[in-house]
Amino acid sequence: MTNTNEKNRQEIIVTGFGGQGIILAGRILGQAAALGDSKESTLVQSYGPESRGGACAAQVIISEDIIQYPYIKTPDLLVCMSQSAYDKYIDELKPDGILLTDQDLVKPAEDRDCFSIPATRMAEELGRKMMANIIMIGFTTAVAGVISVDAAKEAVTSSVPRGTEKMNLQAFTKGYEYGLSKLKGRAKKASGQTGVMA
Amino acid sequence: MENYKIILFLCNWGAHTAYQALQDQGYRVPPEISTVRIPCTGRISKALLFKAFEMGADGVALVGCKPGTCRYGVGTNSAINFTDDTREILAFLGLDKDRLQLVTFLPDEVDGLRNFLEMFCDEIRSFGKSSLMPTHKDLIKDDQAGTFAEILAAHNAYGCQDCGKCTSSCPLALTGKQFSPRAIAGAVIAGDMNSKEIVEDIWSCLTCGICYARCPSGVNFPDFICDIRALVKSKDDGDSHQAHGGFFQSLMRSMTSPEMKTDRWSRLPKDVKLDDKSKILFFGGCAPYFDTFFRNHLGVRTTDVLVDSLRLMNFFDVAPAVLKNERCCGHDLLWSGDRENFLKLARLNIAMIAEMGIEEVVTACPECYRTLAMDYQRFGVDVGFKVTHIYEFLEQEIDKGAVTFNPPEKAMTFQDSCRMNSFDALKDLPRKLINRISPNQFEEMKDHKDVSMCCGSSAWTGCDAYSKAMQVNRLRQARETGSNLMVTSCPKCQIHLQCAMEDPFQGNDLKMEVMDLTSVIRQTICWE
Repeated sequence: MTNTNEKNRQEIIVTGFGGQGIILAGRILGQAAALGDSKESTLVQSYGPESRGGACAAQVIISEDIIQYPYIKTPDLLVCMSQSAYDKYIDELKPDGILLTDQDLVKPAEDRDCFSIPATRMAEELGRKMMANIIMIGFTTAVAGVISVDAAKEAVTSSVPRGTEKMNLQAFTKGYEYGLSKLKGRAKKASGQTGVMA
Repeated sequence: MENYKIILFLCNWGAHTAYQALQDQGYRVPPEISTVRIPCTGRISKALLFKAFEMGADGVALVGCKPGTCRYGVGTNSAINFTDDTREILAFLGLDKDRLQLVTFLPDEVDGLRNFLEMFCDEIRSFGKSSLMPTHKDLIKDDQAGTFAEILAAHNAYGCQDCGKCTSSCPLALTGKQFSPRAIAGAVIAGDMNSKEIVEDIWSCLTCGICYARCPSGVNFPDFICDIRALVKSKDDGDSHQAHGGFFQSLMRSMTSPEMKTDRWSRLPKDVKLDDKSKILFFGGCAPYFDTFFRNHLGVRTTDVLVDSLRLMNFFDVAPAVLKNERCCGHDLLWSGDRENFLKLARLNIAMIAEMGIEEVVTACPECYRTLAMDYQRFGVDVGFKVTHIYEFLEQEIDKGAVTFNPPEKAMTFQDSCRMNSFDALKDLPRKLINRISPNQFEEMKDHKDVSMCCGSSAWTGCDAYSKAMQVNRLRQARETGSNLMVTSCPKCQIHLQCAMEDPFQGNDLKMEVMDLTSVIRQTICWE
């Protein structure tokens, strides 16, 4: 259904339990792309039984061209914050797509390459469990590079309740740095350096 | 001709006989040579050898008896070790090693001695004058050091309630020494310069600060002692309480010579990446001097801490600059009462760092950290950069994630550093890092954190049998945890505790591997 010929098109599914801030995370991603990076973006959120606490998903498309149809079948990027959501969507992820997970909440198949971050644990350490989604946005920004950092920060600040901007930016930075560090670690490992040279 | 100064330490036995025979032949000894007749070359310690340079000698020759002809058996062997170590240290200070030489003669080797004297004088002239400026004992002016009354008032020591909590928590007093912080405060209030408390006890204080934590009047006893020492030093010298013959104080004082060009970084392994243009500076500290000084005795390897810190910074893609001409931070001079030379070192270091445009200084030594981050400012030397301990840097980088640790094979326990424990921002970091490495392989000693036991001596001052007893107690505590690796965070803890392990009467009862936390991290860290 989707037109894969569209240039620089990224299809993202953010998914997890209802209440984790999944929809807000999707909205921030799209908003950052549209307002900050001047791209096109769409958001479809799942209604129905999901929003009562089951699996919940936000479908975001970010593209340089006009988006004709907002629904996603096979995402390029899958962000999972619960095991049930992972089980439900993993088969739809493109073979070369990127999988991002919450390290403590999702146990992916062993042969599946994925980027994981203990987002919920980090949010708890920062003092608010509900900021896990913002940490995840930071992580996504660093790892997938679909939106720019400045746009993401701007979108985070304007989307969170007033008075919590600083805290949320701190959470964003935490996730972002974790992502950068992860990429760096992979690059180092690929170049054959695992530990400190003796 | 420039006025060269060459000192000849002449052994009373073989060498002096040869020297007398030479004079009997009518030989005119070169005028730059001054001789000191000594009973045996083995008694000229590293401190005495170095002292000659500190006082302005351009060359020193230790002239003794051929190995095997020593009147006392082992004198020449000791002299060989002393000379080797001191020569290495001269090299670190940027002086040619050959300014110090050990030569041996039989009583009838008159020609050999003459040739040596000629050759040695030529050699010293070819090196030029030494860059060490003799440090005169410029006594601190009385108004600078203050009076007892001023020091008492500044630290609120008049607020002493005579409760005795300081004495009952003092590790020295608990080891059995007749020592009481409260009695020192009392003696200072009474103003009796000749009391035992002021003549002796102030030099025994470890300045560890446990009494400060306990004092209901909040008297900062370590700082109080620091001021009192400066005052006493300004009247009399107080040097007799220095450990190792005052070698380290002498070394530090010599570093105040502005012309000196130290050479302490040239032996770094090749794989360590440095960047002269970096805005981050790594400040090393005195480890290379310590390792050289103690190498024949303890096999101390504190330089590993510096190399491992640099490698860890490289691991996280930071290539720092180093101060080519780095001096001692001055910590031990400040804490042994020599405030004037402390300030000279502070100004020299700060001027060099400012010239490089440095924004952040990273150090792995708790004493350097305290001195740079706090004491320079406290004594009016402005520091225009941020000071970071390597643990802060590591915690920050590790917290970003994607690194993990290969669990070490050893069970660990941790020796607190008093200088680190005086900073709220630092005191919890070592344990946080150890927990990241492996929480299950870590056991606390009986006394830890705020009430941790000291390693026994501070600022190379006041080491005695009680210091040793304290170290033995500490090592017993460490052994009781069942651990086989003692993790330290200060090079001095490592040196002092390893010293006590050498006790022949204790055999292997106190032996334990000692390693700095930085090295433990370096060996275990890896990308996830």
